[in-house]
Amino acid sequence: MIGSALLGAAMITALFTLGASANEPNVSHQVVIEKFKFIPATLTVKAGDTVEWINRDIVPHTATEDKRAWDTKNLNKGQAGVITFSSPGEQSYICRFHPNMKGIITVTE
Amino acid sequence: MSINLKKLIPLIFAVSFMSTPTFAGDKMNDLEIAHSAYTAGTIDIRYAHLALGISENKNVRDFAQTMIRDHGAVNDQAVALITKLKVTPQDNDLSKALVKGAAQKRAQFIKLNGKAFDCAYATNELGYHKVVNKTVEGNFIPNVTVAPLKSLLQDALATFKAHEGHAERMVTALKCSN
Repeated sequence: MIGSALLGAAMITALFTLGASANEPNVSHQVVIEKFKFIPATLTVKAGDTVEWINRDIVPHTATEDKRAWDTKNLNKGQAGVITFSSPGEQSYICRFHPNMKGIITVTE
Repeated sequence: MSINLKKLIPLIFAVSFMSTPTFAGDKMNDLEIAHSAYTAGTIDIRYAHLALGISENKNVRDFAQTMIRDHGAVNDQAVALITKLKVTPQDNDLSKALVKGAAQKRAQFIKLNGKAFDCAYATNELGYHKVVNKTVEGNFIPNVTVAPLKSLLQDALATFKAHEGHAERMVTALKCSN
């Protein structure tokens, strides 16, 4: 009786362990804005991950999805903005102030 | 790479369609460079305010807003630096030439509206940034001796080069030659 209870507990623990490994923890990524470029310009993340943009230029920038689905808002020198990505797909973005600055975030399942 | 300022000022005036002023010396000191760099930014902010008062073109207005925001940020950094260093920038012949040329340009601009204004403003922005970038890269950065000022000028140059590219795309989009 005790033996079967212990076996059951061990199986439950194993299931939770397996569950934890199947659902990897969310990751925080970083994109540096420097000399009017997003570095890296392309980035692949998993759904649930976050991306932080940090501005190292002396002028303000933004990271803004092409159709304004998300926007870090103004980032002055040294400031950072974080966006959480939940929907899979490719998302192009620009700096609203300097539209020639372009980047792509690819969100996978 | 250093540019002779006797050659530079006529270049600035060629952009401004003005006569060539006399210029006493070739090499500017750090305080004169700081003054001229700040003056160049202030002039572009004034052009941008004029554009916001006259233009109804979204691209032109967006560009003007960016000039106000960016040149304001660069000049704020310059003020912070000279405050920290406890120095006072020195007015000089190049700054005077820039101010005089810009006043004449503004006098031309306020007589225009519609596409004529947009094209005049956009074309001037392209020419102005080209001349300023050539000056900052070829003269100011090589000659300046104080490290933090050199670093600020390098950051400013990256900004102004981005503006030059932006101005070029604005001129193309306006189809000013049609």
